[in-house]
Amino acid sequence: MRNDSLNRALREIPVPVADQAERRGLQVVEAAYAEREERQPSPVRDGRPALPRLALALGIATLLMALLLSPAGAAVRDWVGDVVDSSAPEPEPGLSETPGGGHLLVQSALGPWVVQPDGSRRLLGHYEEASWSPRGLFVAAAQGRDLSAVEPDGTPHWSLTAAARVRTPRWSPSGYRIAYRSGRSLRIVAGDGRGDHLVNPATAPVAPAWSPVGTPELAYVNAEGQLRIAASEKGASRSGAPPDMAGAVAGRETRQIEWGADGRLILEVSPAGLHLQGMRLNKLEGRSEFRRRTALALPAGATVVDAALAPRRPLVAAVFTHWRSAGTRSSVVVYGPNRREPRRLLSVPGSLGEVAWSPAGKRLLVAWPGANQWLFLPIGRGEGRAVAGISRAFAPGGRKSSFPQVEGWCCP
Amino acid sequence: MEIESGGNERRLVREAQAGSGAAMASLYSLHWRRAYRAAYLVVHDAAAAEDVAQDGFLAAVAALDRFDRRRPFGPWLHRIVVNRALDWARREALRQKVAREQSVFEPLPPPEEVGGEMIAALKELPPEQRAVVVLRHLLEYTPGEIAEMLELPRGTVNSRLRRGLDRLREAAELETEVGR
Repeated sequence: MRNDSLNRALREIPVPVADQAERRGLQVVEAAYAEREERQPSPVRDGRPALPRLALALGIATLLMALLLSPAGAAVRDWVGDVVDSSAPEPEPGLSETPGGGHLLVQSALGPWVVQPDGSRRLLGHYEEASWSPRGLFVAAAQGRDLSAVEPDGTPHWSLTAAARVRTPRWSPSGYRIAYRSGRSLRIVAGDGRGDHLVNPATAPVAPAWSPVGTPELAYVNAEGQLRIAASEKGASRSGAPPDMAGAVAGRETRQIEWGADGRLILEVSPAGLHLQGMRLNKLEGRSEFRRRTALALPAGATVVDAALAPRRPLVAAVFTHWRSAGTRSSVVVYGPNRREPRRLLSVPGSLGEVAWSPAGKRLLVAWPGANQWLFLPIGRGEGRAVAGISRAFAPGGRKSSFPQVEGWCCP
Repeated sequence: MEIESGGNERRLVREAQAGSGAAMASLYSLHWRRAYRAAYLVVHDAAAAEDVAQDGFLAAVAALDRFDRRRPFGPWLHRIVVNRALDWARREALRQKVAREQSVFEPLPPPEEVGGEMIAALKELPPEQRAVVVLRHLLEYTPGEIAEMLELPRGTVNSRLRRGLDRLREAAELETEVGR
């Protein structure tokens, strides 16, 4: 083999390139560049005149034309708009709208916030945890031993005091019940604050998940790490607690469960894996039955950070962390209905946080604390967006704050 | 092989250092494909190559202020990319050797093989030989330049290159004989 033929072969052999890989990289590089620029002393602070906006605009326009007219232009034409947009200075505080619409519930160090589609925000009060009611008319909020139903404008509706600290309140899809953990026990209360009763006295520190179909049923993980399903009505068993059905051992590492919108899947999330517990609604008995449990294939060496089922389709979005000697990397992938070939949407250096589906199931919100950003990633065609300055947006008065946590994205 | 005139590239670096996001984006689009291809030919994994190429550019952004713009940008980037690709390929080879049976979870399906015999033959080389072959025959650096980039004695570069090319030639001749 001659050297020149080897040179040509290496230059011309087709190599696989993941869909949108170049564009993804550009977005990450631009975000890093924007962060670098934020750290640089600005020309104004130096006492020198700022770069005239007109010259900057002309420069960008020239680049745009050069890119569009160059041989590589065809490839970049689709995304050149993003090049211009995302290299612009980040707005302050950044969150001027919620891409994809809907209302976000965001937990900050100060308490939960409701974010309107136009980006305006309201602090609900000094609660430690919160979750949406099914249609976004109320928020179930916990503070110490108190569980409260609060309107999205912050008006408290009712409150109860439990025997131990209240955690992970979850409103049923019907809106008639709220399940919550108090200490180690799992309890249910009616949506009007009455009829509080015990479901199980010893559960794992995992938020319960309501069945979206049929008779109201509640999935939870007991203290032995077993996935269980409880009917929500009390008095149907000798103990007075609701009847209860055991499932597979979910594992002591399970930290999150989620019941899919069609009722056929429960997603179990642990740092080491993602499992899908198949479910079937027995219409004659009006209760769910366990079916096959399957593990989703993880990328080699990946640790699960978070995962979420899509609201309308059997898709699973997951955030993984990969530890490498060059530093941590994180990726966002979506598993399709066949579960076989997850599609990678994003790969960035550093650590990503939680992932949430938009109400219509067309976008993902991914937290990127290291870059102080939220990423809004389209599942199909469309432009991804990054919103910067998130910590500051939830720390009024310029106080320093930790990066907030997205608790929910409501409603269609 | 120059993909951009040196003067224009220097201008882009200067503008990027001065705060032009457009110049940074332009540098990225000038170099990404070759950086990705070089990374892929060393790691043979599309996702890893994407990460490696991205890491190379991020390192470039992080060190942009310290970059001496009298020097060309490409070799600096290639040095980062190929070294990181080499690190990844070594780790992956080790991981596959010792941990293949330990994973509880089903591994992802291997990426689709494309590029035929040349890719397959290149993949059979040890990562160190792959990196040298890619630097010499894709990115067209001299053995002296490669030695500097990988911080190796020039003799080591030459021997890795010779062994790598011998094995690639063997593969090519075998294919030719089989094809007769």
